Amino acid sequence: MRAVAFFLAVFLLSPLAGNTLVSELRKNGKQVQAALSPVQASLQTSSAVFINNETRLSFLYGTVASDDGYLLTKASELDGIASFSVRVGEKKYREASIVATDEEWDLALVKIEASDLTPVIWGETSDLAHGTWVVSNGATERKYRRPRPGMISANKREILGGSPAMLGLGLKDTEAGVILTSVIEGSGAEKAELAEGDLILEVDGLVITKVEQLVNLIKERNADDSVSVEVKRGEDILVVEVTLTARYKLAGESKSRNFQMSGGGRQVSGRRDSFPMVIQHETALTRRTVGGPLLTFDGKCVGLNIAAVNRVEVFAIPVENLRELYLDLREQADED
Amino acid sequence: MEVCRLPPRLFPLTLREMNRAIHFFTLMLLVVSSLAARPYFNDKKAPDSLKDLEMIQEALQESLPRARAATVCLEVDEGSGTGVIISKEGLVLTAAHVIGGVGCDIVVLLEDGRELKGVSLGLNSETDAAMLQITDAGPFPYVEIDEEDSFRLGDWTFALGHSGGFDKSRGVNVRVGRVVRQADSTVQSDCLLIGGDSGGPLFDIEGKLIAIHSRVGNSREDSMHVPIREFQRGWAEMMRGDFIGEGGFASRPEPGTGFLGVRVGLGKDGELEVKEVFPESVAATSGIEPGATLLTMDGAKLPDEAIFLEALEKKGAGESVVLEWSYEDEIIKMKIKLGGRP
Repeated sequence: MRAVAFFLAVFLLSPLAGNTLVSELRKNGKQVQAALSPVQASLQTSSAVFINNETRLSFLYGTVASDDGYLLTKASELDGIASFSVRVGEKKYREASIVATDEEWDLALVKIEASDLTPVIWGETSDLAHGTWVVSNGATERKYRRPRPGMISANKREILGGSPAMLGLGLKDTEAGVILTSVIEGSGAEKAELAEGDLILEVDGLVITKVEQLVNLIKERNADDSVSVEVKRGEDILVVEVTLTARYKLAGESKSRNFQMSGGGRQVSGRRDSFPMVIQHETALTRRTVGGPLLTFDGKCVGLNIAAVNRVEVFAIPVENLRELYLDLREQADED
Repeated sequence: MEVCRLPPRLFPLTLREMNRAIHFFTLMLLVVSSLAARPYFNDKKAPDSLKDLEMIQEALQESLPRARAATVCLEVDEGSGTGVIISKEGLVLTAAHVIGGVGCDIVVLLEDGRELKGVSLGLNSETDAAMLQITDAGPFPYVEIDEEDSFRLGDWTFALGHSGGFDKSRGVNVRVGRVVRQADSTVQSDCLLIGGDSGGPLFDIEGKLIAIHSRVGNSREDSMHVPIREFQRGWAEMMRGDFIGEGGFASRPEPGTGFLGVRVGLGKDGELEVKEVFPESVAATSGIEPGATLLTMDGAKLPDEAIFLEALEKKGAGESVVLEWSYEDEIIKMKIKLGGRP
C-alpha cells in the first residue's frame, strides 16, 4: 500500500489578537446544551452509563432497549472488564451481565435487574440528509446526562475491514503451496506454536493450495472458534488446534498521523472498522462515550454510536439494523 | 372567469415623486438584501431553542449541495489535501502546505470520483494561502467567495473536506461550528478538522466561501483557517504563479539543488548527447535513454554542456522543467519535476 501523508499542520496556538467567542457560546458550549434540553430528557432516561467496578470510572455508554432491563452497547469495550455496574437515570444497578453478543456488528446485549426503565423510541428511518442535527450523550455527571450536538456528516455505507477473526498468520502463495511468512505475537497461531516456513496442507479438512481459500474459510468463523491446521515442517507433518483471535486485538495500533492527531488509542475506539452498515456524524465523542443512542430532535433513536473513529468521524449502527439485531440478541439470550 | 384588467392609472405619480419612490425603493431593497445576507441566528448570542438550531440546519442544507460539488480532493506526490473551485473555469483555492510548490502537477478529484488534471499557481508561505488551476476543460461547479469579508465573530459556519484522503463511498465530510476567533491573517472556528482536510473550504451558512483550512491547535475544537481577505491581498501575484514570503508553510526551491540524473557530453555530430542515466533518477523514470539528444529546456536551445548545466543550476529540487529530447527518430517533450541530489 502506498504511504500517504494527509496534510494538516499542527500548531501550538499562538495567542491571536482580536475577538474571541467565549466557550459557553460555542457549538459544544453550555448555551447550545441548554437549547437541547427537550432531547436531553430522552438521554436522561434511555442512555445508560457503564462503570468499571475496579476503577469506579465510567468507560462506556449504553442504550436502553426495554423497560425490563435489556441494554445494547459496544461489545468489544466490555472485553477485559472484570465487573461493571450500570447507571440509568439517577439509579445505579450493580447486577449487570452480558447475555448475548453479535461479533459482526460488535454489539452486546446486557441485562440489569430493573422493571421500570424507559426504552428509547425507535426512529422510523436512519436515512437522514447530510447536515441533519443529531444528539448524543457527550458527558455525564452522577445524576445528569449531558447532550452533545453533531450533524450527519457523510454517506451511509458499509465499512470494510478484514474478517473479524484471524489466525494471526502472514501467508504467501508459492509453487509448493501456502507458506507461513510470519506469526503475529499474541495470536492463537503463536500459542499453537506454528512457525515461519511451515507449509499449510489442510485446515479443518479442506486442502489448502491458495491463500485465498484459507481467507475465505476464516471469514466464515468467529473469534474464539478453533480450527484444526495441518502443516508440513521439514519432513514432519504436524496437526495443531488454533483458536481464532478478534482482529482488532491483533491488528496493531495504527501509527498514522491522523490516529495520533485523534488522541490515539485512548480517544478512538479499538474496533472501528468492518461494519455491515453505518451512518456517520461529526459529534465530538471518544471511545468512552460511544454505545449510547443517537437521537434526532424529536427524541427518537436513529442509531447506536458504535465507534469513535477519529477526531472528526463517529459511526452509528442504523436504527433499521439495530432493531433487528436487538430481536436476534433477545432470541439468542432466551435460547441460552 | 374574470379577465384581468389594467389598473385605471398606470402612472399615478409625477416624475419627481417617481424618482423619489424609485430611490426609496432601491434603498429598501438594499436594506432588505443586507438583512437577508445575515440570518437572524448569527446575531443571537447563541441558539436558545431547537427552533434556532433547526433554522441553522435548514440554511446549511440549502447551501450544501453546491458547496459539496465544488469541493475537491487534491493528490500531490505522496500526500492528499482538499481544495475548492471558485470559478467555472476551474480556479481552485487551497493551502500552501498542500501544494508545496509552484507549477506542480496535481490530480484533482471531484466527489463523484471524476479525475482532473491541475497545476499549482502561486502560494504564500507565510499565511498558507495558495491557488491551483484545473487544466482540463470546464465548466466546473464552483462557489462564490465572501468578497466583502462580511463574516463576523459567532457566525455559524460549515467546513468540508476529504478527511484522511479520498473515499468515494464516504464522500466529502461535513462539519458544523461557529467563528470563535478573528485575527489579522487567521480565522478560528470550532469545526473539527483532521489531516486531509487542509486546503478545504470553510463556508458561511449561506454557502459563501469565507476561509481555507490550514491547521489545528492543541484542543480538538481549535481549527485555524486562512480568511479570503488574505487571498485577496496577494491575488494577482498568486495568479501569475509567485512564491510569496519566507514562511514555514512551503519551502522555496533552492537553486542548484535540482537533479535530473544524466551525464551529458558531446555527441559525434556535435549534439548534446546523454551519456549515462542514473538509475531511479527522474531522468530514468521519465524514460530518457542513454544516446538521446537533448534539444531544449523550458524552450531554450541546449547547444552544449555548459549552457545545459548553467540552466539546470538555476533550478531547485521539486521544480519542474519542460525538456525536449530526441531518441531514435522520435522527439519527446515532457514536463519533468526535478529530484534532489542523491
